[in-house]
Parts: sequence; C-alpha cells; structure tokens
Amino acid sequence: MVALLTLFSALPALAQEAAKEPAYRAFPLIGSRLAVWAIAQLHLNFAAFILGVPIFAVIIEAIGWRTRDAQYDWLSHELVKLTFTAFSTTALLGAFLLFLFIGYYPKFWAYMTSIFFPTYGIYAGLFFAETFTVYIWYYGWDWLSGSRKWIHVSLGVLSNVFGTAILLVANSWVTFMMSPAGVDDSGALKGSVWGAINNFTWMPINIHRLIANIVFGGTIAAAYAAFRFLGAKTDEERARYDWMGYIGNFVALSAFIVLPFAGYYLGREIYAFNQTMGITMMGGFMSWLWIIQAILIGVLFMGSNYYLWLGMERIPGSERYRRYVPMLIGILAFGFMVWATPRSMVITLDEARAMGGTHHPVLGFLGVMSAKNTAVLYRRANKVSTKPWVTTGMAIQWAALGVAAAIVIFFGVYGYFVESLVRIGFSVYQVLAVLGAIVVVMAIDIPMFKGARSTGAIRWGTIAPRSQYVLILLAVTFTWLMGLMGFARSGIRQHWHVYGLMRDNSVDAVTPAIGYAANMITVVTIAFFALVLFVFWLGGLGEKGKAEAHGHAAPIIAGGSDRHS
Amino acid sequence: MRLPVAVKVGAFALVVMGTYTYYANSIPQIQSKPPAELSLEGGNVTTAQLVKAGEEIFHTKGTCEICHRIGQKGTRAPDLAGIGARAAKTKPGMSAKAYIIESLLQPDAYIVEGYPNIMPHVDKPPIALNRSEVWALTAFLESLGGTPDVKLDDIPKTAGAAAAGGAPAEIKIPGDPKAGEAVFTGKGGCIACHKAGKIGASPVGPDLSQIAKIQTPDYIMKKILDPAGSGTVAGFPKGVMPPMFGQSLTAKEYTDLVSFLLTLK
Repeated sequence: MVALLTLFSALPALAQEAAKEPAYRAFPLIGSRLAVWAIAQLHLNFAAFILGVPIFAVIIEAIGWRTRDAQYDWLSHELVKLTFTAFSTTALLGAFLLFLFIGYYPKFWAYMTSIFFPTYGIYAGLFFAETFTVYIWYYGWDWLSGSRKWIHVSLGVLSNVFGTAILLVANSWVTFMMSPAGVDDSGALKGSVWGAINNFTWMPINIHRLIANIVFGGTIAAAYAAFRFLGAKTDEERARYDWMGYIGNFVALSAFIVLPFAGYYLGREIYAFNQTMGITMMGGFMSWLWIIQAILIGVLFMGSNYYLWLGMERIPGSERYRRYVPMLIGILAFGFMVWATPRSMVITLDEARAMGGTHHPVLGFLGVMSAKNTAVLYRRANKVSTKPWVTTGMAIQWAALGVAAAIVIFFGVYGYFVESLVRIGFSVYQVLAVLGAIVVVMAIDIPMFKGARSTGAIRWGTIAPRSQYVLILLAVTFTWLMGLMGFARSGIRQHWHVYGLMRDNSVDAVTPAIGYAANMITVVTIAFFALVLFVFWLGGLGEKGKAEAHGHAAPIIAGGSDRHS
Repeated sequence: MRLPVAVKVGAFALVVMGTYTYYANSIPQIQSKPPAELSLEGGNVTTAQLVKAGEEIFHTKGTCEICHRIGQKGTRAPDLAGIGARAAKTKPGMSAKAYIIESLLQPDAYIVEGYPNIMPHVDKPPIALNRSEVWALTAFLESLGGTPDVKLDDIPKTAGAAAAGGAPAEIKIPGDPKAGEAVFTGKGGCIACHKAGKIGASPVGPDLSQIAKIQTPDYIMKKILDPAGSGTVAGFPKGVMPPMFGQSLTAKEYTDLVSFLLTLK
C-alpha cells in the first residue's frame, strides 16, 4: 500500500518529466518525415547497389575463372570497383539515418531498441566482416590470381554471404514495423528476439529485396556501361562497354523475371498477417499506386525487349527472326493493356454510377489477377521463343512452352470461379509453370549449341546509340520504381510507426497522396544519380593510369577491332 | 555545337522522371489521414447525432467500406442494407443490437454463410475503435432498416481497452477532488473552455461533465500534460489546449485536478 501511494505521489512528477522528453523533434525547414524519407531512400538505393552488384560480379568472375576468358575477369573487377567506391557513401547515409531516428523520433527508436538491441551488435559485426572481405577481394585481385584464384572467388562468395546477412538483419527491423510479432498487446517482447525477427513479412521481403538488388545492380551497371559507350572515343572502347551493357541488362532481366513471384509471396503474407492491411493496400487509398507500378513494369519489359531487338542488328544471321518483331510488339502491347487494367479502385459515387457499379462491366474482368498473369506470363513465354534454336531441340522446347501456356491459361480462367484469396495463390502456379519452361528451354539450349556452327561473330560496339538510352531508361525507371515500392511498403502502415502497436502522433501522421510521394521520389532519385556520378568519378580518379599496372587492362572484344581495320 | 554526353543523358533522365511525376500528379490524389478520436462526452447526444457519428466512422476510421457495401452484394462481406431489421432474426433469442455488437467485437462468433472469416475485431488495433465509437457505429447499423435503441451501457466496458493493453484497472488517485475543482476554476483556467457539470459553459472545448464515464484515467492524465499528442475530439479545433500544464501546475495541483475530473460521471 505504501509502495502504491509512493508510486502515485511520484506519478505526476514522472509524467512531467516524461512530458519534457519529447516524442518528436522537428527537423529544420523540411520536417522530420521528409528528412528520414530522403535519407532512408538514398541509403536503400546505395545499399541495394552494393549488395546486388557483388552477387553477379562473383558469378562473372567464376565464369571467367573456369573458361579462362580474361574479359569476364576484367568485367568482374570493373563491377567491384563500382561498388567499392559506393561503400563508404552507403555507410555514411546509414549513420545519418540512425542519427535522424535517435534525434527526431527518440521514443520510437527507444522502443525499437527495447526489442532489437541484441541484433545491433550482430549488424555491426557483419558490416565489419563484409567490408574487410570486400577489401581483400578487391585489393587481392592480382595477389590471389593463377592457382590461388579459387581463394579469390571464395572471398567474393563470402562477401556476398555477409552482405546478405546484413540485409536479413536490417529487414527484421523494417518488417517488424509493418507486421509486428513476438510481442504482447502492450508491445513488450514475449520470448526471444527471434519471435520479433521471424514475423510474417520478414522472409518474403528478404527474398524480394535480394532479387530486386540484383536487378537494380544490373540496371545501374548497364547504365554505367551505356554512359561510357556514348562517350567512347575508340571502337574498342565502344565494343567493351556495349558488351558490359549487354551483360548488365541480361543479369537484370534474368532476375527481374522471377521478381513477381517474390512479390506475390509478399502479398500473400501481408494478407495472412492482416486482411485489413492487404485490402487497404490493393483496393484502398493505395489502389492508384499499382496503376503506376503496372506502367513502370510495362516500360521495363517493353524497354528491355526493344534493347534486345536493337541488339539483334549486331548479330549476323539474326535477320530471319526480325519479321517476328511486329507480332511480338502486338502481343506485348495487348499484355501491357491487360496488366494495367485496374479492378478495385477508390472512386466517387458519381463515377461508380457512371460506370454502372464499382467495377467496369467489361474491362473489370481484365482487372483481376487471373487476366493479368495470363497476359503477362504468356508475354514472357513468347519472349523466350525468340532465341535462335536448332530444329532437333525445338520440338521439346515448344512442348515445354505449350505446357506452361496451358497451365497459365487454365489457372487464368479457373481464377474467375474462385474467391480472390484463392485466386492470388494461383499466381504461384502460373509463375512456376513459366519458370519451369524457361529452365527446360535453357537446359536444352546449352548442350544443343555447344560447338555449334557460328554464323559470324557478334559485332560488339555496332549497336545503335539509341539502345544505350534504353539502358539508361531502364536504370532510371527501376530506381524510381524502387522509391515507389518503398513508399507503398512504408505507407501501408498509415498512421502507425509499428502497425497496431505504436501510433504515429507526430504532425506528419498523414500518409501523403501519390502525387506528393512521386515528387519526393523524383527529387531523391535525382540526388541518388548525382551522388552516383560523383562517386564513380571519384573512383575513376583513383584508377586513372593504374589499370595497366594492376594487370587489369581492358580486353579487346570482338567487333571493335573489325571496324577498326 | 555538340552537347556533352553527360548533359544529354542527364536531360533524358530528367524527362523520364518528369513524365512519371506528371502522371502521378494527374491521377486522383487520396491521402490517408489518421482517424480522429470520437468522444461522445456529456451524454446529451441525440439518436440522430449518434447515427450520424456512426455513419462517419463506417466510412472512415472503421474502414468497414473496404469489405462491406450498403445496397450492393459485397465480394468479401455481406451487404449491410437492412441489417437493422435482419440482425434480430439471425440468431434466435438475440436482439438486433446484441447481434450487431457481437459482430463488431467478436466477429468470429457467427459467420454468415458463404463468406470467409476475415473480419477484424473493430475495438482492437489497427482499427481500435473506442467505446463511444462502437456505440455510434452500432446505432448507425441499427438504423439501416431498424430503429436505433443502443445505449452506451450496452457496450461492454472492456471494448476498446485492449488497444491500451487490457481492461482499464480501477485506480484511486491520491488527490483532493475539492482542491482539484478549485484548480479547474482557478489556476488551471480550464473553465475558460470546458464545462464540467454545473461549472462553466463555454463551447470552446468539449463538455467534460461525464469525462470519467467515457475516458480512462490514463487518457485524462496524459491529455492534460500532452494535449496535442493525445488527439483532438472530433468537431473541435486542433492545437487550442495549452501544452504547459506539466510545467505550470505543481504535482499536488495536477493530482487534485485529475481526482476532480475522475468524479465527473
């Protein structure tokens, strides 16, 4: 009783003390939210780049090591060089973001620390481990060559293991804010921190971000190559950067094909965590956001197809396939139109009356995921069919595509007879069918073309310069899309710092409309590319005149010298 | 004159981003505003006002419209047209208001055939309607084909309490309500804006005549110290209540004031 009385008599004093410690502080001029938004998006852009590029850099290095092809080794070194200079910028932005949280959202950060404190040390340790591994990987390129190359490749793999682990730790914080788990109704940790880490959206975001990082790294590397191509003084240089751009785009596109699979998995887990959150995301105030996303994805796929068609002009013997291009454009355009057709939109009563209901009587049927996946996935299946094949393997490959198309269309039609919760699950089967077909086609392609008669070497560097602007378009579009998806992921929490647990009581608790978000995304994307250019320029300064000495002279690539002679 | 590559590439990138930005600004702009706390203080609410407040909650904070339609078959949840009459016949022996209250607070207790069990508990986060709001929403739903007869006492006292970590505990503040009344009318200056029973009459702030009946001690204590951070009662201007009571009142005055407010039932 005495203790209770003491507590109550102390309560006002404690409360007054608490009132002095603000929950929020205001960042000068632009406010705390915009400051955190800008720095978080920039940090994520750089982090995605330095985590994504090393993944395919080590694959390319391994290819060069096994095939003894020096150009792959050069490209891998070039890619690591790009990430190397971006490392410190990423760390600086991360530190700045941390200061913003501590200074401007102290109560929120104190709560996050009360849950995730054990992970902070792990994160710091992993960061050190990755940094030093990449140092040795980069500076030991010549030292660990020849018979010790396997050690060097292993270092590349190890740096990626550390990099991915960093991603997993950071994702646990972000996903906890979105779909908290392992805590009681008051927000206190119930058991170990693992319960909070392993929340509903953690693993889907891990997979989604890992794949997206590879796509992002690929598009940025391709854009870098395009920039160097356009400014090239010699045919050799043009050929080298044409090839680099092609590889970057190829890697980006390969990863991009599987990205929707991770997206559907994430969507399914969001619905599983909280129906209200899922429905608000897809059919509530964010519904228009997905129209923009559909357009951007359409631009990415159509742009990459256009690049591939332009690239065919440098391949002798590809003329016989060019007549299929207009038909493919038609299929792509149709697929794009279905993909961009909305189903559930936030509309006014007058608009609903004018349309005859909340869904359009005809086009509304194209808005459901069944129609979208059928259009989009079939479009991709056709894209595979443009590869140059040999007759003996074509029958099997066509059969694989036929089976995939049948599965996609079957679930596409069947999707109209089931409820939306079941329908979204069909997406997984449709994606798996197409991925299976791609794997079968590639598995046959590899032995089929081994030692095949060449119709002529690819004339690298002869591609039309406008193709390089396509690569820049892809990089800009994907970076902008990342910003948009970041807004979707964060905005879906609406007026909650931690969904359902810690409410946002700041002046910025309103989740802004898409136009405001787009303005912000554009400003940050411009800042990102300006910083990237600066960082690359710095990296170039350090390397000037040293390439030959380091044994990383740029290789002569077929095509460039052809034009020279 | 040939433009440098960097200029051409930069201009191209700006045009691409400008196009996306222009498009994003040209489509409908929808914000998601944090829901205001509805506090039906004073107990002088008419049925019509209650129904109107409930309709507002239906369209906004309750997020009911995401799944339910009125006069149109929903894809995820039943049509609510006529629910006020229909509810009385759904479960034998259960009145319309009892069925509606059960559906809001324990949605999995009865699932309408043909629909999935996806409805959230409206008094728990993230929707987290408070007791007043559940009361108003029930009245609105009763009005759809029926006659609203729900009273605040029909809503369980625990409704909305889970959001704050369980049912509110009965606590006794060691203050003097009489001295608190003096703070209310004197040093605190509360009387300038608030009514408390027979004291005060100004319509600037909400009527506090029954504040202890509809709000928790926690809320009252926090509201005095951090008025902006505790939300603004619907229909009243934001940012009017002074934020300096934590500094201007002594610990005793603060405790007395809270004790006085807790007598207003």
